[in-house]
Amino acid sequence: MLNYILKRILMLIPVLIGVSIIVFLIMRVFSPDPAPIVLGQHATQLATEAWRQANGLNDPVYLQYFNFITGALTGDLGTSYYTKMPVSKEIFARFPATIELALVAIVLASFFGILIGVISAVKKNSIFDNIGMLIALIGVSMPIFWLGILLIILFSGTLHWLPSNGRIDPMLQPVAVTGFYMIDSLIAGDMDAFTDTLQHLVLPATALAMYSMAIITRMTRSSMLDTLQQDYIRTARAKGISEGRVIRKHALRNGLIPIVTVIGLLLGSLLGGAVLTETVFSWPGIGAYTVTCILKSDFPVVQGVVLLIATIFVMVNLIVDVIYAFLDPRIKYSKVKG
Amino acid sequence: MRKMKKILALALAVAVVGVTMTGCGKPAATDTKPAATDTKPQATDTLIYAQGAEPRGLDPALVDDGESAKVMINIYDGLLQYNKDSTKVEPSLAKSWEVSPDGLSYTFHLQEGVKFHDGTDFNAEAVKVNIDRQIPPLVTADMAYGSFVYGSVKDVQVVDKNTVKVNLTAPSTPFLANLAMVMSAPIVSPKALTDSKNNVNQAPVGTGPYKFVKWSKDENIILVRNDEYWGTKALTKNVIFKFIKDNSARVVALNNGEADMIDGIDATVVKQITDGGNKIFQAPGMNVNYMAYNTSKAPFNDAKARKAVSQAINVPELVKSLYQGYSEPANSVLPTFMEGYDKSIAQVSYDAAAAATAIKAAGLTKVHMIAYTNPRPYNAATGQTLAEAIQGYLSKVGVTVTIDSYDWTTYKEKIKAGDYDIAFYGWIGDNGDPDNFMYLLSHEDPTMNIARYKNDEFNKLIAKGLETPAGAERNAIYTQMEKVAAADAAWLPISHAQTLCAYRPNITNFYFHMTGITPLVGVGKK
Repeated sequence: MLNYILKRILMLIPVLIGVSIIVFLIMRVFSPDPAPIVLGQHATQLATEAWRQANGLNDPVYLQYFNFITGALTGDLGTSYYTKMPVSKEIFARFPATIELALVAIVLASFFGILIGVISAVKKNSIFDNIGMLIALIGVSMPIFWLGILLIILFSGTLHWLPSNGRIDPMLQPVAVTGFYMIDSLIAGDMDAFTDTLQHLVLPATALAMYSMAIITRMTRSSMLDTLQQDYIRTARAKGISEGRVIRKHALRNGLIPIVTVIGLLLGSLLGGAVLTETVFSWPGIGAYTVTCILKSDFPVVQGVVLLIATIFVMVNLIVDVIYAFLDPRIKYSKVKG
Repeated sequence: MRKMKKILALALAVAVVGVTMTGCGKPAATDTKPAATDTKPQATDTLIYAQGAEPRGLDPALVDDGESAKVMINIYDGLLQYNKDSTKVEPSLAKSWEVSPDGLSYTFHLQEGVKFHDGTDFNAEAVKVNIDRQIPPLVTADMAYGSFVYGSVKDVQVVDKNTVKVNLTAPSTPFLANLAMVMSAPIVSPKALTDSKNNVNQAPVGTGPYKFVKWSKDENIILVRNDEYWGTKALTKNVIFKFIKDNSARVVALNNGEADMIDGIDATVVKQITDGGNKIFQAPGMNVNYMAYNTSKAPFNDAKARKAVSQAINVPELVKSLYQGYSEPANSVLPTFMEGYDKSIAQVSYDAAAAATAIKAAGLTKVHMIAYTNPRPYNAATGQTLAEAIQGYLSKVGVTVTIDSYDWTTYKEKIKAGDYDIAFYGWIGDNGDPDNFMYLLSHEDPTMNIARYKNDEFNKLIAKGLETPAGAERNAIYTQMEKVAAADAAWLPISHAQTLCAYRPNITNFYFHMTGITPLVGVGKK
């Protein structure tokens, strides 16, 4: 097991090198020259040249990459061209917002997704199943930004129940300790701030959870249908175990592996930033920020964010694989699969 | 074994989450002071301004974007400031000034007893530090407006504590207008510049009516009233600039009371805003949206052909249909509120029949246009839509138009290459001085002077305008330039776009200045 984990972590190295080379080349080949964007409409040719020189953009590409990667290894991701702030500072100023939203969304999506999926499978072809599948279909097909705008117009614009933008009322903002406002407001013991944070989370988390929930629902249903056909379920029922226990302990537990895989992948992509949701709800996360930086050819920031997202993906998948071992004792990660 | 696995898995999960959390442990905001208020603020204590994007930074020397300007105007003062309703300059940190007869030296007498937000004194030395950092040898390549604002400055002399003398390399009347700009010209505390290593983007310290409190990235910037302000103190205690990217979300935020003022709206949402009981502020815009003929090659190297085509286009009708009443049809290059504008300026007037005859006489049958596909601040309808509308007018007089449209970045490359008969462009003024508009027609760089217009008489007027002190004589020079430009018809000015803002009914004295800034010092909330 330990070997396996170590091996997986070591595999992060080629992944990160590959990803960094790709993003590095894409930015340099397809993005417009950052100099005029950074220097504005009054930049002289001389100033443009001087700026390019100062930022190493006149060096050969391999040398630029080498400088970037050696910097990254020592934890220095460079400085944003546009704001002159260290990239790591820019990223970590926004990352907690993305994590907070992604975690709340994935918890919502998993809870409702598994619940609806199990009910649909157990009551196959019933009215519950049909309603559940309809919700899932809507969730998969509805564009997130459109759903987001609908939610804002209904719950903020018309009913005035919930705030339409941001993470918290600016005047209630807790002192930053972790960057997670739910935790920070509790640390500060400020219940108003905590409630306000929750209220701000409802709409974006719902919009973001919708798609993931739909996927999880469908995966749960098909996985459960499959498991419920198994001989051991018949055996369990024959032994006189209650139906609820059969579904929870015997069917769901065995059907969870594909569901967990999907949840892991979804979480990975949510942590990479939900561009549309963040834009519609003015959520100060990493996704919308990255898009802005791509449009401004802010190479160092884009490179830094992509490395971070790649790392998260690999780590989340590793956690998922480890969870398999939890769920299914037959899975062992050793040299010889047993 | 199974238990062992469980423990391991759990440990790993905790470790990963832990690492992520530690990474995020750094504060999300750049705090310099404790929270704005100790007690819970009253709603009427706080103005919330929602803008469409986050400012680039708050160091006037290092930024070039309008979003930064809206915040900076409330934190800093410059030596001069603009009049509320025009681009005339008025005293600010400089209470008076003299210009030497040769136009080469400007002596400023400064306000006394003014302090920066950090408690240090504002004085002549502070002015020198601020200008010196933006001229050679200290200026850096990324000081976007340094060369524009201080390009003509030779050196700065501290005469005494409250008097400073700026020497220029050549006479430049727009220099005074430059000093009222929010880019480059505001005075930053020299101590803050030293403390922040010559970059106060994240920790601005000025002398203005509001002090910087905190900036939560991509969320908001909070300012608090400067109770020691040397001028008229601000009416409202706190100001919050919120960043709401999505246009419709910004409108909802206003209607919902989550924002008191918003900008960056277009004609389509005006009804929604007024239905919500809110008010619209329609500010004149310091910009021009125009069509340019390529005067460097046939057929439009001939002024007759240019005039014939201009005559075929009904500009007022075009502007009304494309911009729905939120752009004024342009009769001149200069916006009407600027010095040098005169009612007598007029372009070739619309006359389709005369145009058809002239075009036939000139033998003009085909025209190649290039246009941009992005909306621009001066042309919300896009260059392509404008080109298509003009294509319609020209087809009526027997001219076949082909249009090639490109995204903005590619478009600028095409402009540089020069392969077009007619192209579309626009300009957003910087300093409110007429030279800042008229010089486009004398510029050597074809990406600035896209008509590639060259007229020695016009260029002489440009040079004369730079040297002549502000006043009626100078204004007459710019009126004269307008007349030369109209007679030569290198451009067909189309429109001056207005800026649309909206605010809640309980907000008083809100205004958006034509230079794109929003001083909130006089704005109240009932």
